Amino acid sequence: MNDIVLKAEALTKTYTSAERQLTVLDEVSFEVAQGNTLSIIGPSGSGKTTLLGLCAGLDVPSSGIISLMGLKLNAMSEDDRAYVRNQYVGFVFQNFQLLQTLTALENVKVPLELRGEKNITIKAQNLLDRVGLGGRFNHYPSQLSGGEQQRVALARAFITSPKILFADEPTGNLDGENAALIEELLFGMNREEKTTLVLVTHNLELAAKTERVLRMKGGKLVEDSITALP
Amino acid sequence: MIEYRIKVARPLKNIFTDAWVWRMALRDARHNFSRLFLFAASLITGIAAVVAIGSINYSIQRDLDKNAKELLGADLVINSSKKIDSKLLQLLDSTNTEKAFDADMASMVLFLNNQQSRLIKLTALKGNFPFYGKLETKPANAYALMKSGKLALLDESLATQYEVSTNDSIKVGNTIFKVAGVVTKIPGGGGFTSTISPSVYISMDVLDSTGLVQFGSRVGYSLYLKTKEADTQAIIDKLEPTLKKLNYTFETVKSRKEGLGEALKSVYQFFALLAFMALLLGCIGVASAVHIYAKEKREEVALLRCIGSSGWQAFNIYFIQVFCVGLLGSAIGSALGIAIQQVIPIVFTDFIPAQLQFSLSWEALLEGLLLGSIISVLFTILPLISVRFVPPLSTLRAEVKQVKVVSKTRMVAILLIVLFPVLAAAYQTQSIVTGVLFSIGLAVVLAGLYGIGALLLYLSRRFFPHHAAFTFRHALSNLFRPNNQTRVLVVAIGLGAFILATLNIIQNSLLNQVEFQGGKNQSNTILFDIQPKQKEGVLQLIKGAGLPMNQVVPMVTCRLAEVKGKSVETILNDSTDKRPEWAVSREYRVTYRDSLTKPETLLEGKLQRFEKGKKDSVFVTISEAMHETLEVNLGDSLVFDIQGVPIKTFISGIRKVEWSSDPPNFIFVFPSGVLENAPQIWVATTRIEDAVVSSKFQQQLVTQFSNVSLVDLRLILNTVNELFSKVAVAIRFLSMFSIITGMIVLAGTVSNSKFVRMKEYVLLRTIGARTKQISAITLIEYAYLGFFAAMAGVVLSLGAGWLLTFFFFKIQFSVNAVELLLVTLGVISLTVVIGWLNSRSVISTPPLQVLRKEA
Repeated sequence: MNDIVLKAEALTKTYTSAERQLTVLDEVSFEVAQGNTLSIIGPSGSGKTTLLGLCAGLDVPSSGIISLMGLKLNAMSEDDRAYVRNQYVGFVFQNFQLLQTLTALENVKVPLELRGEKNITIKAQNLLDRVGLGGRFNHYPSQLSGGEQQRVALARAFITSPKILFADEPTGNLDGENAALIEELLFGMNREEKTTLVLVTHNLELAAKTERVLRMKGGKLVEDSITALP
Repeated sequence: MIEYRIKVARPLKNIFTDAWVWRMALRDARHNFSRLFLFAASLITGIAAVVAIGSINYSIQRDLDKNAKELLGADLVINSSKKIDSKLLQLLDSTNTEKAFDADMASMVLFLNNQQSRLIKLTALKGNFPFYGKLETKPANAYALMKSGKLALLDESLATQYEVSTNDSIKVGNTIFKVAGVVTKIPGGGGFTSTISPSVYISMDVLDSTGLVQFGSRVGYSLYLKTKEADTQAIIDKLEPTLKKLNYTFETVKSRKEGLGEALKSVYQFFALLAFMALLLGCIGVASAVHIYAKEKREEVALLRCIGSSGWQAFNIYFIQVFCVGLLGSAIGSALGIAIQQVIPIVFTDFIPAQLQFSLSWEALLEGLLLGSIISVLFTILPLISVRFVPPLSTLRAEVKQVKVVSKTRMVAILLIVLFPVLAAAYQTQSIVTGVLFSIGLAVVLAGLYGIGALLLYLSRRFFPHHAAFTFRHALSNLFRPNNQTRVLVVAIGLGAFILATLNIIQNSLLNQVEFQGGKNQSNTILFDIQPKQKEGVLQLIKGAGLPMNQVVPMVTCRLAEVKGKSVETILNDSTDKRPEWAVSREYRVTYRDSLTKPETLLEGKLQRFEKGKKDSVFVTISEAMHETLEVNLGDSLVFDIQGVPIKTFISGIRKVEWSSDPPNFIFVFPSGVLENAPQIWVATTRIEDAVVSSKFQQQLVTQFSNVSLVDLRLILNTVNELFSKVAVAIRFLSMFSIITGMIVLAGTVSNSKFVRMKEYVLLRTIGARTKQISAITLIEYAYLGFFAAMAGVVLSLGAGWLLTFFFFKIQFSVNAVELLLVTLGVISLTVVIGWLNSRSVISTPPLQVLRKEA
């Protein structure tokens, strides 16, 4: 059996507003093994993004346990979780989330710089080459198209060789051609790096490209299915 | 359930060891440098003002030490109201000293070239005064010429005012003097002294020929001594008993230095606080700008947190930026301060003795840098601390609310920010009490401005002009846009308006007071030093000129010999007696009459007539203030020494006196029948409406009664105006720093909200607004802002002005509405201009550029 990278045990998230309790995630449990690809699907408000946020340690559950690489995230401080993310996690967001004041190359280098690693420029350049942006190292995000920005984000996500990559609607803001390119890169690089992929999407076609699909509804995990990959 | 925490062994780095935060700070700053620099610009003017004033202070203190002797012109000066006693001169004969003398008195001078006259201070000099420093004249040999005969020197300002040139003639007393030149610099003179009482200098050898030194003339005599430095104290020790006996006072280089040092220190403290106010305003600007900056950086921080940055690392990136730019601003401010220091002597010429020179002060420069560094830390930590707590979840959900965390850093920052103005003001003024009072006062002013500003904004929303034109409505709505800094701007700009308006109110109230006191039928011309034998002649002259005779009052010079049975000497030697020496030993000018005058009200007791032949029947009345100072009450005895004759009196009444109303007024009033035969002079008062009549009357007076002096209240009004204008120039100069700071804060805010504005304008254009309309909206928005700020400042200044006039100056509150309106219009115009200059690029940005950025 493969090693478990991510384990969610009875994850519940409730928000209190105007003296009313709102449960957005209700007792969700699942495990993801090393190298697996998984997508979380469901209608808007079903708890997909909340689940992703909890899994990545961006938030803490109201109850339940979330373990990443065997580390219990909900028992850690915010800064410790940030450190864990830097060591094991990569991110790709729907709205790219590049630092506007940094060039493409600098954006890609940031996660490794945070680790204090040196001589990382070549590695960052190689990754940008890999995503087809070899000639755009010194371009700022505002000088790149949406698809190009997302490719920079992909390069940044993979530069730390993360154990697990969380992608939130990675093609949601892109046209068909760019979306296809990003999908190809995402899955291709994932295979090369043997990274575990957790994907949140509305796009069922995209979800079908992962080995496993979790369907959410009303904050509950209603289906956990294995897809028939080609 | 057992709660537990897991600690990850992550490497901990601080701001100094974490190279990544420095690198990120630099990378990020590349795109924000102009914005960041605007934060620092808020500091520049304040630091410049503080450094300039501080540098002058250090420079003066240094120069005071170096040139102390030149300020006195001698090693020791002995002062007396009588001619220097021969016994004292005999005592000095045995010492190795060089002597010089002067005698000064108030006198009229008639300028023969234009037949104008005015009251001046006549100074008669003998010997080689000054022993230290120089009495500088134009032409250079004028002083030597003056000593040679009936030649006079004039203060330069006096000569300029009355257009008197070398070789013109003036008449002082009975003597006509040829003008030898003007005095441009004299130890201990210049500045305000020459504005209040401009001097005419003559040789003491010709003083008697003027006929001005008569009985009752108020002449001050000084003896200047040059000693060998080591001997000064020995000479003082030797002379002191005689000086005490003769009621003489003395001044040494040290005491002059200390006295001048204290006086300059008070002036410095006042101006330093004014400069400091500009700096604090800059601090508010910095904090406000950093607050907006931190809010805008929220998304970036969330991402950095997402990919592994700790809260402190994210904080450090932006802290390094604002701190470094703050340091740069401080350095520029300090350099600017040193440059301004070169201008300040021109602005402050009347506050600083001409003997003092200015040089670069490294202490002030370092203080500026230190102050800037402290501010860059203190006022940026609080708004930046929120960066530490940005939730990384914001990358997934923009609407995630940031939880307000009560951190230790935040608490410490708040505490230090509260303490900062107190400690910095206390350091600047060397007084904790002043520091605390200043901070409380400033807090009240800032809170007042904020409160009034908030109220005006509330009212404009409450009574929103729904039916006004679109541009007016939209411009007003813009003041309430999200993340608006309207209230901070109202405070920043309003503070400048407040200072200017308060200054204007005080100036108007002071001038109005003098005008008021001289108004209606009250006297505006006082004639004094009238000898008894001249009385009838002077009265005839007044009547002959068709002028009213308002008061004719005798005046007797005397001293106290005993108070409540205790001799003055005993009181002075009794260290437990708290009555001030000046009140007990001073010379009093008293009058006699059996009634009260208009400015007087009897508070206690009664007016009691003198009963001739009855023992202990001389009953005097005393002014309310002196009754408290001398600690005497109804029935208490006072013995007066009237030119060597002791007269025992008892207090029968206590009077309240409106001193500024219809002078002359007196501390002690004797009953009629006691002092009639005592040596005395007379004072007469009248009212002259017309300046030409006044000039002609003065000319006749000087010609016929050369020793009689005349005080023209209109001249005093002019002098008060001139004095206040000189003070106002200096105050306005420093207020300017606050106004500039306010404008920089405005420019910074406009720059901060640039993108929001761009989006608004693009939207407006998309739905059909023309550039003209967008420009109108912008201009009107700043006009509203300027109006609210000016109104907040002016409304608050009315309160402050009333408090100052009522409690501090004790004068009638007076407002010149037109001038306040001008202040308001000035502030509005300035705000519109600065706002417009910073918005032009926003208006001219093509819509597509913004839409692309948005996409």
